[in-house]
Amino acid sequence: MAAAESPSAALRRRDLCSRGIRLAGKMRADVVDLLDAYVEQQGLDASASVAAVEGVPLAAVERWDEQTGTQRLLENLAAYRAFRALLAQMLEEQREQLGEADAGLGRALAAVLLQVSAFVYHLEELLRLESRGIPGEEGDGPPPPPRLSLFEQKLRGLGVLRELAQWAVRSVRDLRQLAKPSAATSAASGTAPGLAESP
Amino acid sequence: DIHMQYERVGADVTMKCGSMDWDAAVTWTANGTDIDESHLNGSYLILKNVDLSQSGQYSCYEGSSWHLKYQTYLRVGTPPKEPVLMCRSNNYPKGFYCSWHLPTPTYIPNSFNISVIHGTKDMVCEKDAVPKNRCHIRYLQLFSTVKYKVTLTVTNALGKNFTTLTFDEFAIVKPDPPESVVAKPVPNNPRRLEVSWQNPSSWPDPESFPLKFFLRYRPLILDQWQHVELSDGTSHTITDAYAGKEYIIQVAAKDNDIGTWSDWSVAVHATPWTEEPKHLTTEAQITETTSASTSSFMAPPTTKICDKGAVVGSGAMAVCWTAGLVVAAYSVLFI
Repeated sequence: MAAAESPSAALRRRDLCSRGIRLAGKMRADVVDLLDAYVEQQGLDASASVAAVEGVPLAAVERWDEQTGTQRLLENLAAYRAFRALLAQMLEEQREQLGEADAGLGRALAAVLLQVSAFVYHLEELLRLESRGIPGEEGDGPPPPPRLSLFEQKLRGLGVLRELAQWAVRSVRDLRQLAKPSAATSAASGTAPGLAESP
Repeated sequence: DIHMQYERVGADVTMKCGSMDWDAAVTWTANGTDIDESHLNGSYLILKNVDLSQSGQYSCYEGSSWHLKYQTYLRVGTPPKEPVLMCRSNNYPKGFYCSWHLPTPTYIPNSFNISVIHGTKDMVCEKDAVPKNRCHIRYLQLFSTVKYKVTLTVTNALGKNFTTLTFDEFAIVKPDPPESVVAKPVPNNPRRLEVSWQNPSSWPDPESFPLKFFLRYRPLILDQWQHVELSDGTSHTITDAYAGKEYIIQVAAKDNDIGTWSDWSVAVHATPWTEEPKHLTTEAQITETTSASTSSFMAPPTTKICDKGAVVGSGAMAVCWTAGLVVAAYSVLFI
């Protein structure tokens, strides 16, 4: 039987979800702008299909509406931790390739990295509120991939930013589900809140 | 046996009279009417540069016995042009639908085949009973960056054609317009209009996937629209309406995060509340108001004076004026 959430915990959760939604929304807008700049400055085709890159967490999910609150938080946390590492790597590669020649892109990457880090912290706070242990970071993501060619680095970067943009939208949806009052008891009990079927 | 024959507009058509020899004496009819011999080459019927009006039943009879030797139904038409295909999700995140039509009619039966591929996975688009040229798909995955590729092939007896659409999940999200748009004047406020609406009923979960709205309004006498974007709620008060002018108002909806704006809702009309002009009245015709308002002037803007049945949004504040002296005294009390 699920324990009822205390009023203060419910308020805290809704507050964290609201702020998380705003953070994810801002992050998405910045990632979309960054994506445009990245495509242009890296000389890529915006419509190019990029195969799934190893180590880039895919936002695509089946039965999204059946996920529990805890599942949502854990998947988000794993994803954004991975993005944090990937963006740091992109920033490093950017600096190596271009030095100071493209400071604007570097600054934009750094800004998004900062937002991703903040979001990771936010997710950890939500997990603490759900009285869930926060998974250690050692278990997140595969070992660093072998050194890629410049072109492969650019394509991977495109894949990273595209998936991050999708994740930002997914995170907004996940947090809205979490903010629902029914999400509190179902997260504690491990059952899925589910979406009401429309008539 | 009745045969069916399809021919292109402008084609030359030769019909043989079944197994009759070329030099047999025959009579051809079109929809029961004899065809002039000038169209015959021996027993063959020659139709040059056929047009749509020549569709019909053609019959060939043996000359002397009038035995029916051959019958065919000729349908004159065209091969299909590239079809027009549209896909849209008005019920996100449940799924999307695709609908299609031909830009010009072919005048003969067509069949449509639609295929949907997501990455490497084939998906089934279930045909709708109504309308016919439409099918729908349930999303198996959400938040995918992999594009959907929809190919529609149209085939008829004279040829085939196809078109392909490629899109990602977010790009086709377009809600239906808001429903039940209502605009009302606000009592004692000559520059306000209160507008309310509802989420489109096709949007399955507005709580988890909230919509934002765009409201536009203008007085009928002007062409320029005013616009207001609203990130939440399903109502808005216009505060800068021109007094006494009839307004036209529409609302559109969009998912808060993805996709495009809906079409505009059905337009509604409303006129802000206006002050009732003063008349000379007698003392006996004054009726007391029940409102705490300091104004004793009140009448619905689009209704006749004292016509309570047509009162909209004015509550119980209809007042009829009689004498000028009583008007002045009354005004002093309440203004």
